[in-house]
Amino acid sequence: MASITLPQAIEVPATPGTLKLVQRERLMIGAHIITAMLALMTGIFMGPFQTFHRSPTFVQYFPNIPVFTYYYQAVTVHGVMNALFFTTFFIVGFSYFVVERSLQRLLKSVRMGWVAYVLMAIGLVIMLITILGSPQQSAVLYTFYPPNIAPALFYIGLVLLVVGSWLAAANIFLTYQGWKREHPNERVPLAVLAIMVNFLMWCVGTIGVAVEILFMLLPASLGIIKTTDPQLARTLFWFFGHPLVYFWLLPAYVSWYTMLPRQAGGKLFSEPLARVAFLMFLIFSVPVGLHHQFSDPGISASSKGIHTLLTMIVSVPSFMTAFNVGAALENAARNRGAKTLFDWPFKQKWGDPIVAAQLSGMLLFIAGGFSGLINASSQLNATIHNTSWVPAHFHTTLGGAVTLTYISILYWLLPAIRGRALFSKPLALAQVFTWLIGMALFGFAMGEAGLNGAPRRALTSQSPYLSPAAAFWLDVTAVSGIILMVSSVLLYINFFGTLFLSRQPAPESEVPIETVSSDRTSPLWLERWGLWFGVLGVLLLIAYGPVFAEVLDFQEGWNILRYMPTSNAPMP
Amino acid sequence: MEINKFERYWLIAVGLTLGAFVAATIVAVAVFGIRLPSPVERVDPQRLDQTIFASPGVRKIADNRYEAVIIAKSWAFNAGPEAGSPPVLRFPRGSQVTFYVTSQDVMHGFQIERHTINLELVPGQIARATANFNRPGKYSIICNHYCGAGHQVMYGTIIIE
Repeated sequence: MASITLPQAIEVPATPGTLKLVQRERLMIGAHIITAMLALMTGIFMGPFQTFHRSPTFVQYFPNIPVFTYYYQAVTVHGVMNALFFTTFFIVGFSYFVVERSLQRLLKSVRMGWVAYVLMAIGLVIMLITILGSPQQSAVLYTFYPPNIAPALFYIGLVLLVVGSWLAAANIFLTYQGWKREHPNERVPLAVLAIMVNFLMWCVGTIGVAVEILFMLLPASLGIIKTTDPQLARTLFWFFGHPLVYFWLLPAYVSWYTMLPRQAGGKLFSEPLARVAFLMFLIFSVPVGLHHQFSDPGISASSKGIHTLLTMIVSVPSFMTAFNVGAALENAARNRGAKTLFDWPFKQKWGDPIVAAQLSGMLLFIAGGFSGLINASSQLNATIHNTSWVPAHFHTTLGGAVTLTYISILYWLLPAIRGRALFSKPLALAQVFTWLIGMALFGFAMGEAGLNGAPRRALTSQSPYLSPAAAFWLDVTAVSGIILMVSSVLLYINFFGTLFLSRQPAPESEVPIETVSSDRTSPLWLERWGLWFGVLGVLLLIAYGPVFAEVLDFQEGWNILRYMPTSNAPMP
Repeated sequence: MEINKFERYWLIAVGLTLGAFVAATIVAVAVFGIRLPSPVERVDPQRLDQTIFASPGVRKIADNRYEAVIIAKSWAFNAGPEAGSPPVLRFPRGSQVTFYVTSQDVMHGFQIERHTINLELVPGQIARATANFNRPGKYSIICNHYCGAGHQVMYGTIIIE
């Protein structure tokens, strides 16, 4: 544990034991975090309006809901900005911070870091202009399945984001390599191991979407090729889609494993098992994509069965996390005077927004995790596939656990970047609890609506088929939308308040990060990346080899469907 | 590397939980016959008139057994002229119906509410599923995959008499 202060000084030499964040580094991490929050701001406020648009009762009383008149444009902004741009910017900024502080060294190349940032930022601007400028054509949602084809700039924005994230990954790998050369027989700090796993997994997973965009969607959008194959495109997309969700989740786990125990006043239960958990994510996050495609006609049931089994296995490291972090929290509560078997969840620092946000995220994650197991059970999936149950699931995971943990990080990292104290702690606490209540209500109501037949991503207030029960639960989501809107406003009051209004200097608080590993028992071969890549390669061959053989139809030669709808249907 | 006693118990409990989910999946397939879609055949979405989709509609193939051939197109299901638009399909109680569905343009969905039929309609692929209808009532067929501006009004109805 290093005590790190964040100076106003321009250049402070790094001394052993303390790496002072020099100005240029503070600028870089700050640029990522602030851009992430601006991207989130454009996406987050779409959310409540979507719940209003979907609620039959709300639309009946307020027929002219402002902001976006075209519902599917709002859904696209919400998904693309929140799930793709906010997350990637935040993860890259946070990962730079973790790697620099844990390893006590600067990034390998600051210039490469800025190049990556500028690429991603141009991608963000291009994407916003495209979606706002052509509401109909670019409303392909954040899954952009063909044969719906968006304007070329939509895909170029995504390409810039992904290429930027690859440069960031390379920068992190090179920084790690430099450290490893100087410390060949040391275990890398747990947080850095997790960041390494996250970016390695990301580099493997993004291959799928890169192939899809560069060889199928972008050329089709530019008119270079006239045809497409929707089944192949979906398979490539979901090769990427599941690593994507773990790319969001693992930085939150970094906070839970390596920062929360200290923030809560306890000690991590088992660091070696934490390492094992992260390496399991590296191996099992990718070969599970078919659990998004159980209902696809072009893929055999046996391949889907293999992916069902692998999906069950990828939940094991999350269960291990629940035990390990749970034990750390119990330890923290015992230090605070908890005595009985069940009083430790209540003896937490619920009054500290940084701790409360993560604990609230965990509560939502219990619902999110188990609903995920239901989705992964291939036959149960048939009852909920593409219903509003699915957004209920990922709003308790991504919108709950991940976002609340990122907000928790924001509440200590933003003051460190700005050099000013958090604008208002009570507002932060109110934000956390309104988010918890709003998202829990949203998740429950969306789940119920889905079980009663409400589809996801549909302007259900106009749907003639909506059952009374589904209509009722959609009305409830509008109530949760109001709560979440309040929470979002509170979040941005604190964000802008800390940036522009806060006058008090940032407290000389310790940044919650370990610089050396206290782990003396985990085997060193856990860090042999070549080995893990080999295992991953074999698993991918087993899980995805037959799938691509089917989709490309090797028996009958390379049968790629040559098809494109001639024109988009007119507005109803 | 040591594993704590309680953590070992926990991992065993996790294994049993996941085993139960996998077992439930196997029971769903083997006992209840809930099958996931598997490849049937490819079709050219622009030449559906040369396939079984040339004449969409419901055919009776045996006592209480039917075939329903349906085309999805932005933003309606086409189940033949008899079914109308949006289509209304009527079957007697106890019917077993095999659906053959495909898309003529973009991605669509085919879900029968309160039932196990839930298909992605991928252009170029025939989606097939068999359903037993034992309870009388009205069931909506819902397009549950985003397909453009009129997605929310794309539906049909099944009436079990």
